[in-house]
Amino acid sequence: MSTSSHHWGMAVDLDRCTGCGACVIACQAENNVPTVGEEEVKRGRVMHWIRIERYYEGEFPNPQIKFRPVLCQQCDNAPCEPVCPTYASYHTAEGLNGQVYNRCIGTRYCGNACPYSVRTFNFFNPRWDKPLHLQLNPDVSVRQVGVMEKCTFCVQRIKAAEIQAETEGRSLRDGEPAPACVASCPPRALVFGDLNDPNSEVSRLARSPRGGKLLEELGTRPKITYLQRGSWDGENR
Amino acid sequence: MERRDFLKLGVLTGATVTLSSCEKPAQQLTRFVVEEDFVPGVASWKPSVCTLCGAGCGVMVRVSDGDAEVIRNRQHGIIRMGLAKKLEGNPEHPVNRGKLCARGQAGLQLTYHPDRLRAPLKRSGSRGSGEFSEITWQEAVGEVVSGLENLRARDRGDRIRFLTGTLRGQRHNLISRFMASLGAPAPLHYGPLDEPVLRQASLLSFGHARMPSFDLARSDYIISFGADFLGTWNSPVAQAIGYGEMRRGHPGSRGKFVQVEQRMSQTGANADEWVTCFPGSEGLLALGLAHIIAKEKLRPNSPETILSREVEEQLKSELYGSAETEEKTGVSATRVERLAREMAAPPAAVALIGGAPLAHTNGLFNAVAVYILNAVLGSPGLPGGMFFAPGLATTKEPQPSSSPEFVSELLSGKFENVEALFLHQANPVFATPAGWQVLDKLGRIPSIVSFSSFIDETTVLADLILPDHSPLESWLDDVPESGTSEAVLSLSAPAMRPLHETRAMPDVLLEIGNKLGGRVKQALPWGSFEEMLRASYSESLSAELSLPTGEQEKFWQKVVERGGWWDDGRQQSPPKPSSKFEVPAFTPPSFDGNQDEFPFYFQPYVSGAFLDGSVAHLPWLQELPDPLSTVMWGAWLEVNPRTADKLGIKPGDLLNVRSQHGRLEIPAVINPGIAFDVVAMPMGQGHENFGRYASRRGANAMKLLAPIAVAQVPTLAWAATRVHIEKIGKKTQLALASRVLREEELEVR
Repeated sequence: MSTSSHHWGMAVDLDRCTGCGACVIACQAENNVPTVGEEEVKRGRVMHWIRIERYYEGEFPNPQIKFRPVLCQQCDNAPCEPVCPTYASYHTAEGLNGQVYNRCIGTRYCGNACPYSVRTFNFFNPRWDKPLHLQLNPDVSVRQVGVMEKCTFCVQRIKAAEIQAETEGRSLRDGEPAPACVASCPPRALVFGDLNDPNSEVSRLARSPRGGKLLEELGTRPKITYLQRGSWDGENR
Repeated sequence: MERRDFLKLGVLTGATVTLSSCEKPAQQLTRFVVEEDFVPGVASWKPSVCTLCGAGCGVMVRVSDGDAEVIRNRQHGIIRMGLAKKLEGNPEHPVNRGKLCARGQAGLQLTYHPDRLRAPLKRSGSRGSGEFSEITWQEAVGEVVSGLENLRARDRGDRIRFLTGTLRGQRHNLISRFMASLGAPAPLHYGPLDEPVLRQASLLSFGHARMPSFDLARSDYIISFGADFLGTWNSPVAQAIGYGEMRRGHPGSRGKFVQVEQRMSQTGANADEWVTCFPGSEGLLALGLAHIIAKEKLRPNSPETILSREVEEQLKSELYGSAETEEKTGVSATRVERLAREMAAPPAAVALIGGAPLAHTNGLFNAVAVYILNAVLGSPGLPGGMFFAPGLATTKEPQPSSSPEFVSELLSGKFENVEALFLHQANPVFATPAGWQVLDKLGRIPSIVSFSSFIDETTVLADLILPDHSPLESWLDDVPESGTSEAVLSLSAPAMRPLHETRAMPDVLLEIGNKLGGRVKQALPWGSFEEMLRASYSESLSAELSLPTGEQEKFWQKVVERGGWWDDGRQQSPPKPSSKFEVPAFTPPSFDGNQDEFPFYFQPYVSGAFLDGSVAHLPWLQELPDPLSTVMWGAWLEVNPRTADKLGIKPGDLLNVRSQHGRLEIPAVINPGIAFDVVAMPMGQGHENFGRYASRRGANAMKLLAPIAVAQVPTLAWAATRVHIEKIGKKTQLALASRVLREEELEVR
C-alpha cells in the first residue's frame, strides 16, 4: 500500500481520443526515447513508451475503427515487479511502477511478465546524430544498452511540481503535475491526477460507469481507467 | 609496488592521456565566451510560434543551458548556451490553448537536424548536382546585390520572382515591399495544402477569401465531407479541442458526428456514422440534404437570415430530390432523408468540407454546396456553427494564398522569361505532378537564390543558398486565419541564439535592400526585422487600442512576454452572405484515365506525420506510426480486402501503380475502410533529396497525378486521377508498429 499522500493515476476517455499521436511525440521528446530506424522497427524494437493501438471491426461500407492509447498501466499489483532479480522494477511510495536503470541487468523478465507489452528494451546504445543530442531533456537520464525502460508517468514532472508546491508552502492543485502526454493531448482525452483525492478529475472519471481497466481480470489492479466510446442512438446523450 | 610509485604512475598515465588527446586537432575545442544570461540547471519557458502548418499555434519552449559544438568565425569550439529542449502549447494562446500536435512538437528537430545548412553555400558543380562550397555572408550578400543591380540597370525588375510557402504577417509584407521596390511582381506562393478552392468558395459565398472556423465545442451535430479536421486540415489542434468538448464537455449531451468519404481517415475513424458516396458527388449530397431541410421547413428561421428567397426556391427543385441524390451519389434516399431530419433536429449543426472533395475537378461546386447546407442549417455566426476569425484591423485581411497565380504563371509559360528566382519555404519540384515540368521550367532560370535551411528537391537547383535561422532562433509573427473567435496576433522573440552561422531571411533582405540603396532602401527603412515588427505592430496596435504614448513600450514588452496579443473582448461579426451566394450548377467530376484501363480512383491524402512532405525529414515523425496502417518510415497503397482478394494481393506485396502520367512501386496495405474501386496513399514520402531520414524512402504520390486543375480555380485537382494496379511478384516487409499486424504479415509470408 502506498504510504504517501499521493496515488497517481490516469483516465483515458476513448470518446475524446482522436488517435492523432500528439502524446507519442510528446513522450518521446520529454523522456529522451530514441528512434530506432526502419530495420529495428521491423524486428519489433520500437522504443515508444506510449502507443496508439487501433482495432478494425467490420468491412466496407461499415468499417469501424477504435483507437486506444496504451502506456504503462502503473499496476498496484504489478506482474513486472516481483520477477525482477535485482529489484530494478519496484513500487514507489506514490504507487508508480519504478524502474531503476542502474540496477537493471537486462534479464527482460519484467517485459515478459507485463501483459500490456509496454516495457521496451535497449538492444543497442541509443544514438542521436549530432547535434540532435542537444534536444535531450537534462532531467531524464539516457538509458544504455541492456537496460529495460518504461513509462514513468513523467516522474521528473511530478517531483518538480511537488518541490515547487513545497517551496510555495501549499499543496498540489488538481491537474498540476501533468505528464507530457497529458499536457499535449488536444481533445483532453488523457487526464492525470491523484486517486487519493476523491474530488480530483481523475478520481471522478475513474468512477464513471463508462470506465474499465485493461485486462482487469488478470488482477493487476491498473491505475489507468479507460472510458468507453459513446454511441449515438437517435438522441444526444 | 609502493603507494608512492603507484601515484606517480597514475600521474604519468593521466598526463599521457591528456597529451595524446591534445595531438588530435579535432579534440582541441576552444570554449567560447558565454553570450547570454541563464541560471545553470534551471529551465525557463519562452513563447514562440509554430510555423509547420497554417494554423499558427502559440508555443512555449523549454530552454535550459547546455554545451553546443559550434563554428564561430570559422573556428570550431564549444559554447554554453540556452538550448530549446521541449515544445508545448502556449496555455494562453486562443488557438491551441496549451495543446500541441505531434508535428508541432517535432518542430524542435528543425533546429538540431544534422542535415541543416550551417553557412551560405554557392553552387560549385553543375545545376542540381548537389555540389556546393561554403562562402562567407559578405560574399553571399554581395553576389545577390550585384545580381540585382545588374537586373536593375537593364530595367529587368519584372523578371524577378519570389516564391514562398504559405506566408502571412510581416515576412509577407517585407517580401512584398522588397519586390515592389524592385519593380517586380508580388511574391508567389506554392503549397499543396493552401486550400485555394475553399477560399474561392468563401469569397463567392461570404465575400472574403478566408478559411472558415468552427465552434465545434457547442455543436450538436457535425457533418464533415472529407475534412480530416482532427488530423491535418485547417486548424487541427483548435478543432480537436472543440471536438473533445463536443463529445464529453456537456454532461448529458453528446453530439453526433457524421463523416462522408471514400477512404476512412483518422478523423473518419472517430465518426458515429460513416457515409460513403461516389467520388466528386459530395456537393450533390450536401444539396440533397439541404433540399429536404428547405422543403420540409425543418429549420424555419434559418434561411431568411442567410439565403435569398430565390436560392431557397431553387433548392426545393426536384433536381436535388432524394431519388435524384441517390442515383448521383450512391447514398440511399432513405438515408439522405434520415440524415437531413437528424441534423435539422438539434439546435446547432454544422457542415465542413476538406480534402479530396475539394481536389476533384468540381471541387468549387462541392465547397459552395456545403456552404449552402450550412446556410440552410443556419450555422453561420451562431453558437456551434461556422464563422470567420476576426483577424486584426491593423494587418487588414490575412493574405489570401495565391498558389493559383504561381500555377497559372507556370502553365502559361511566363516562367520562361524569369531571370532570377528567390525561394523561401517552397518545394514545388517535389509537390507538383510530373506533367507540370516544374523541374525543367525552374532549371532554366539563370539565377536561383534559396533561403532554405535544408537541401530539398527545389533548393538543390539553387546557385546560392542563404540558410535561414530555424523558427526557434527567429523573430516570428503570424495572424492565424482560423481556429479562433478572437482577434489574434502570434508574435515572439527568438527562444534561443542561433546554433549555426545562419541569418534570418528578413534580416538578409533588409541588408540587401540597404546595399542596393535608392527606392529599395526607402521601401525597407528598418535596421532589422525586430525593428520592423516593433514598428508595424507596436505602433499600429497601440493606435488601434488607443494606448497613451508612454504605454507603448510597456505594451510591446507584454506582447513579447506573452507570445502575442489577443483580445477576447471583441466579437466576430456573423458572416454575411455575398450577393453571389447562389446554388451552383452541378458539374460532374472528370477523371484522368478511362475506367477500363485504369479501374481505380487514386486518392492521395495528407499524411498525419508529414503533411505534404515538408516535415518528412524529421526522424520523430518518420517513426510516428500512421494512425490507421501503423506503418512507420514508409509509404504504402491502401486496397480494399475484397479487391485485394480478387487481384491476389497480400499485405506487403509490391505493387506497380500506373497512371497515364507515371508509375510507382509501392507495398500494399489491406484496408477494410476503403471503397472497392478506390486506392489511397499518403502524401509526403518519396523524397529524392531531403536529408538522411527522408531521402529515397517510399514513393511520391504527386508523381502519379494528372496535371489537371480544378474548374475555375487554377490549382491541382489531386484526387482526379485513375490508376491501374498489379502485383509485380515481389514482397517487402513493412515497418509496422502493430505487433498483431506484423505477425499476420509474417504468417502470410
